Amino acid sequence: MNNTVPLPCPDAPASLLRPVLAEIAALLERLAATGESGRIDLASLPLGPGDAAALEEALGTGEVMAELLVAGRSTVRETAYAGVWWVRHFGGDDQIATETIEITRVPEILLSHPADIAAAARRLGDHTGPASAGATDAITEDGPDAGP
Amino acid sequence: MPAHETLGEMLAARGISRRAFLKYTSWLATLMALPPGLAPAMADELAKARRQSVIWLSFQECTGCTESITRSFSPTLEDLIFNFISLDYHHTLQAASGAAAEHAREAAMAENKGKYVVVVDGSVPTRDGGIYSTIAGISNLQMLEETVADALAVIAVGSCAAFGGIPKAEPNPTGAVPISQIVRNKPVINIPGCPPIPEAMTGTIAYLLSFGKLPEVDALGRPLAFFGESIHDRCYRRPFYEKGLFAKSFDDEGARSGWCLFEVGCKGPITYNACATLKWNGGVSFPIQSGHGCLGCSEPDFWDKGGFYRPLSTPLRDITQAAAVAAGLGAAAGLAAGALHRAVKKDAAAHHHTVTVDNLEKSS
Repeated sequence: MNNTVPLPCPDAPASLLRPVLAEIAALLERLAATGESGRIDLASLPLGPGDAAALEEALGTGEVMAELLVAGRSTVRETAYAGVWWVRHFGGDDQIATETIEITRVPEILLSHPADIAAAARRLGDHTGPASAGATDAITEDGPDAGP
Repeated sequence: MPAHETLGEMLAARGISRRAFLKYTSWLATLMALPPGLAPAMADELAKARRQSVIWLSFQECTGCTESITRSFSPTLEDLIFNFISLDYHHTLQAASGAAAEHAREAAMAENKGKYVVVVDGSVPTRDGGIYSTIAGISNLQMLEETVADALAVIAVGSCAAFGGIPKAEPNPTGAVPISQIVRNKPVINIPGCPPIPEAMTGTIAYLLSFGKLPEVDALGRPLAFFGESIHDRCYRRPFYEKGLFAKSFDDEGARSGWCLFEVGCKGPITYNACATLKWNGGVSFPIQSGHGCLGCSEPDFWDKGGFYRPLSTPLRDITQAAAVAAGLGAAAGLAAGALHRAVKKDAAAHHHTVTVDNLEKSS
């Protein structure tokens, strides 16, 4: 998927940069008009040498850069085009396992999952006593570490 | 774990978040060329699934397949599969031994009747009542028949289980047969390779958990997601083939320049596998990238195809004489060549020709 040694190739195949940018533009227009998200898996495209780097340069860097530590490392970066995100998941040996361009308001991997939120609420509740109407007061008065 | 617990609940208790599921299914979607938009729904399904009971049977094999699937670097993405399955029996890996090990297998079969997956590596010897390979005094044949009786599905990993592999190579002294020849009334998925790419093994199991069904397969029972394209079609050296630039030996200018290895015996054009795209050892390289032709290890009878260094285009014997006879009879020369090729292959198989250094020099 990602080679550390440049491989010999008799002539570079025609660049896929323009068609990929056109697809991203179409998905972004759809997001703007309907709110529907889209995704492009970079591994599914027969990108030529240098195409991925050219695409990265063409899309630029936006305001958000996030690093996730979840089953290894992942990075999420908004490009210079709001709503166009570059998501990289790393596997063993910090090799890129999968790379997608996500056209969305916020990539799903950044959102806390409802199941995790519910579990977290229970866990925090164990620290602070029953999660009732008085729970907030208990935290402000006694601090989060106070036992029941 | 409690039997009713879902993978989501179980992993949450171990501090593994639902993001890990999404990351895993995003990777799986990439591996299996599924629509990337499916990943979130797959993650939810996977989190709802129960831990999959897996019974792993190792028969006439070299343990290379187990080596391949357990290759891992640090606890990361690739290892998550070991949280999704419960490897209830694997005589190479399990701590229990002897009668206790066999009881583990029987207990898993009873507890998960109709729901467990049997993974088999290795072929099954059938000659002389199957006495050539036994475990705990039980012949492989008997253990397979007994274990698959209440299985959900069978996954034959490695070329030995899928096609008979090296044990079945001529003269096949043990009467080795592939799993599909014995298991007739259960779905059998073949994941050949010597060894198979680990992602092809784990991906197939993860697909089963996420979708509750087996992936689409080709005529040889191989998942299309991993075996749908030939090595040749996805080979980065393909442009050299198109231009007619071939290495003629392993130390010539062409070899040094990274040209196509077709003429030094590469079996890429007739081999279906994902080596050229997924590669090996975490995406580092694959045989052709390391300068050696593909051996065709994921194809049936790859060991008996007349030599790893013989170009695919060369017939095994001088065909002019046979072709002349065929032309005289009005048959197509190609047909005769094909018939002769088959005859010679059969002959080579019967006499078990081995490749010597001399053979390599002659073909180069």
